[in-house]
Amino acid sequence: MLGSFGYERPSTIDEALTLLAECNPGALVLAGGTDLFVDVRAGRASPRLLVDVKRIDALRRLVVDVEGGVSIGAAVTLNELLENRRVREVLPGLCEAAASIATYPLRNRATAVGNLCNASPAADLAPILLALGASIVVHGDQERTLPLPQFVVGVKRTAMRAHELATRVLVPPPASGLRSTFLKQQRLRGHDLAVASVAGTYDPGTGRMQIAFGSCAPTPVLVAPIEAKGNVAERAGEDVARRVLAAAAPISDVRASADYRRAVLSVLARRVVTNLLEGGSP
Amino acid sequence: MTVNGVVETARVPAGLTLLEFLRGWLHLTGTKEGCSIGECGACTVLLDGKPVTACLVLAVEADGATVETVEGEATDGELSALQTAFVEAGAVQCGFCTPGMIMAARGLLRRNPDPTDEEIVEAIAGNLCRCTGYEAILRAVCVAAARQRLDAPLTGETVASQSAGGSLGGEAGSKERRFLPRREARRAPRAGGR
Repeated sequence: MLGSFGYERPSTIDEALTLLAECNPGALVLAGGTDLFVDVRAGRASPRLLVDVKRIDALRRLVVDVEGGVSIGAAVTLNELLENRRVREVLPGLCEAAASIATYPLRNRATAVGNLCNASPAADLAPILLALGASIVVHGDQERTLPLPQFVVGVKRTAMRAHELATRVLVPPPASGLRSTFLKQQRLRGHDLAVASVAGTYDPGTGRMQIAFGSCAPTPVLVAPIEAKGNVAERAGEDVARRVLAAAAPISDVRASADYRRAVLSVLARRVVTNLLEGGSP
Repeated sequence: MTVNGVVETARVPAGLTLLEFLRGWLHLTGTKEGCSIGECGACTVLLDGKPVTACLVLAVEADGATVETVEGEATDGELSALQTAFVEAGAVQCGFCTPGMIMAARGLLRRNPDPTDEEIVEAIAGNLCRCTGYEAILRAVCVAAARQRLDAPLTGETVASQSAGGSLGGEAGSKERRFLPRREARRAPRAGGR
């Protein structure tokens, strides 16, 4: 037994909100459960009520609009995301990041929105979604749309209130020809969190490069954009690595020392820049 | 829920995992409990045809779903081709990881009848084995895939499902068959005429 808690399976967002408000505090949202159940088992979470949002139709939707903007509902699993042909076409970097998370069976349960709501500094989708300029839609007393940098506010902390529900992530339509990529360093494929990760997007038209990194600060961090065009492109790797390191505040823990994280971060930043200038992910 | 083709109805506590329900309530003890936190893959079952770790699924979450466990592999006491391949390849030593391995492999072969080596590795990356060193298991899955293709000539449908599924990068990469013993490679046709 995972614990003694109630379980409700609402079929609409409004029903879910009512349940969350009625049992506040103590109600937790259940999507994939791949983080939540681990926390429950370890005693880090002790819910009175789990509100399972997987059968809310509105949250099951994964929509790619004609301009390439993507809306990812809170019940969409990582495998549903990365196996979607259109998403792979418009946002290859996002799919790469999703594919790098845990293992195939876990990706059949884990959700993209859950990855953000868990607010781990090592959340693998966060850097690429930051670079893509994504925002998250939160329902509660009213509906609000928060840009991702305002959503994740600390280690395992989001800007959401207890009775609120994150319903979808919105990725704006990418500029035509936008390249995106994601790289991470981990000790063991599928069985460990990232030691460091770097994601980036590059618009060859304007030369604008947007870089973000994970696992090296209390939250995933979006670095100020750079212009990588003409002569500047040659120095872009150096430039980005310098900016990333300036924004990093890594800790030493069981996975790596802070020094090692800085070293890895610098290498990943340069590789991401090289990937982006050479064409990004296939 | 339907477990291995049998409809099961029960009133369960919310905190009961699917794993506990299968083992403790239905006495289907083939599915093993290892780490209980989704790391080891010993409890892998198919939920609506897709591999999941049953320790991280509540029984109530599987309400109305179709569940397949290792007990559903054999028919009338006869091992499935996948199980036979495991036995022949020496892919079973202590056996604790085997039910999870079989179900992860079953999930793979269903969505992708002609997996590359890389795709097989990716499919069982969530299943820890402390005995075999994995090589025999990879061989077994490769052999089972080859025999399955031999037994079931490809239809348009399987070709379509194959190109739709699979992992990232698998399509672009060369189709390496390092795990397949030469004897089997001679017999096995290539799916989709490649």
